[in-house]
Amino acid sequence: MRHPLRAIALACALAATPACASVQVADTRIENPIVAARTLDQRAYAALHAYAAVIEEATDIVRDPAAPVGFKRALGQAERVATPAAETLQIAVAAYVRARADFEAASGETQPTLERAATALTIAARRLNEALAAAEAPIAELEDLVRARRG
Amino acid sequence: MLNWIMQLQLLLTALSAFLPLAPSQYRERIAEVLEIATKALAAGGAVAANVDDLALKLAAIRAEVEAMAASGRAVTSDELDAAMSRVRTASGAFREALAASGV
Repeated sequence: MRHPLRAIALACALAATPACASVQVADTRIENPIVAARTLDQRAYAALHAYAAVIEEATDIVRDPAAPVGFKRALGQAERVATPAAETLQIAVAAYVRARADFEAASGETQPTLERAATALTIAARRLNEALAAAEAPIAELEDLVRARRG
Repeated sequence: MLNWIMQLQLLLTALSAFLPLAPSQYRERIAEVLEIATKALAAGGAVAANVDDLALKLAAIRAEVEAMAASGRAVTSDELDAAMSRVRTASGAFREALAASGV
């Protein structure tokens, strides 16, 4: 062997390689709080807080002088679409919570009152579902931009 | 991500220790390459810390929602107002920062 020390160095480097190869590149797991929710109101609550966390990160990026202007502009456009969707979601979830409270209050009332409350709750639930679905894409777009910059 | 970067930094440090064993004509060049890689990883570590910051916030929200789901507790109007208030505050700060950056 002409270069035993180099061979030992190479062996050590190769021995250390599996430690790197076994590491998950996406080791930082980004949690999705919405999947933990079981009810509509919990989903909306998780979506609003998660969206707020994403905007907070987006703000840090915008404040970074090294971030490209084009990227900041893209963040701005995404936020302008996502925030109104979040506001619609908040209105829908507030209406749902009210309708649910009315339904619970009507449990001891007459049958027509109970039916009216049930119908109102069904409509509020459908609207909340629609608002959740409508908010999903614009919020995900902003989140994807933040992750693209950060990760 | 931080774990990944840390392991790479450790590997680079280990490789640097073997630098004296490298052929003398390549030693300087190898040292430069290792130094650049170390600097790049340090910068990557700063970025990863921010990713971790978002991951921590999302994990905290998830933990709260999991607790709600486990107890079968409904979200109150006050909690929803607080969530929306956080969105509005964050959105206001974002737009302010955007305007300040000239975009």
